[in-house]
Amino acid sequence: MAFETSDRSAGSPEMTGVRAVKLLVAGGFGVGKTTLVTAVSEIKPLRTEERLSAIGAGVDDLTGVERKTTTTVALDFGRITINSEVVLYLFGTPGQDRFWFMWKELSVGALGAVVLADTRRLEDSFGAIDFFESRGTPFIVAVNCFDGAEIYDEVEVRQALAIDDHVPVQLCDVRDRESSKRVLVRLLEYLMTVATAGAAAGTW
Amino acid sequence: MKYAGEPEPFEFEPGPLIRPFAVTRGRAGKDLHELDIITLVVAVRPEADVAALDREYGDILRMCHQRPLSIAEISAKMGLLLAAVKVLVSDLISSGHLIFRSPPPPTSGRPDIKLLQAVLDGVRNL
Ligand SMILES: Nc1nc2c(ncn2[C@@H]2O[C@H](COP(=O)(O)OP(=O)(O)OP(=O)(O)O)[C@@H](O)[C@H]2O)c(=O)[nH]1
Ligand SMILES: [Mg+2]
Repeated sequence: MAFETSDRSAGSPEMTGVRAVKLLVAGGFGVGKTTLVTAVSEIKPLRTEERLSAIGAGVDDLTGVERKTTTTVALDFGRITINSEVVLYLFGTPGQDRFWFMWKELSVGALGAVVLADTRRLEDSFGAIDFFESRGTPFIVAVNCFDGAEIYDEVEVRQALAIDDHVPVQLCDVRDRESSKRVLVRLLEYLMTVATAGAAAGTW
Repeated sequence: MKYAGEPEPFEFEPGPLIRPFAVTRGRAGKDLHELDIITLVVAVRPEADVAALDREYGDILRMCHQRPLSIAEISAKMGLLLAAVKVLVSDLISSGHLIFRSPPPPTSGRPDIKLLQAVLDGVRNL
């Protein structure tokens, strides 16, 4: 399959046309990110880690020496081979707010994102929504319908999250492969719409 | 950014391959080939070479023998930090054992609609 000739990715000439793309799965702690990745990945999700050292916020008063702290941030990811040339990676972002710098790095070059939300604690997804809105990363909201959670409809969720009308909201059960697949399909359809509209309007 | 006294990039001084621990200590954060977490690499040199290399290098070449793997996958399979894998992979690219493809820089224009369509088709056919 031939893609745009304007392939400006860095690399070896033998691999022109071969490419990896990524989508992000974000949302609060325990909302089902890893479960979604597992449901659609062709491999058992893998875990990679990055150790980050940050200079501690304060300077130690007694010694005057800056404290260096080291944190390990874990990322879960899955893989879907699209065709002989394209591989899709799905990254679950770290659930904790304080690891957002890692999101920043991950969001560079991402095609788009799924923000997973749990209706019992919708506020946990505010952070992810703010993040992608501010970075201009196109995203959809997928509401993971946990057992026993009150079922809200799309309109209610949309209002509660105060998201733009054009951002798709989809109810799902991430434990179900078909349901998780539909979330990705919805995201990709949305990305196509955004890309097509942008091209028509001459935004790019 | 380049600082005075920084060692020359590996390409200009292809010394012996160094043990990963030493390598990562000395050069962490300096990605010689601008490797991304989803940069794909494939081994190109014959397996016979592998025996002459340090274990970690050999492991990488073996796992990337048949099909492209990303830096993220290599990191997960080896249980090494992303930063360490980037350094090792950089060495293997410089030495001609691996070829690679990194994603285009984010500034390179509009979304690729054909690519999006291919990904959409691929996910639909899962
Ligand atoms: N009943 C029910 N349980 C779910 C559902 N989705 C996920 N779970 C469970 O909720 C727990 C958390 O799911 P994970 O997929 O690990 O969530 P996560 O977002 O990756 O969590 P962190 O990485 O810790 O932030 C697991 O025990 C899942 O089995 C769901 O739709 N219904
Ligand atoms: Mg998880």
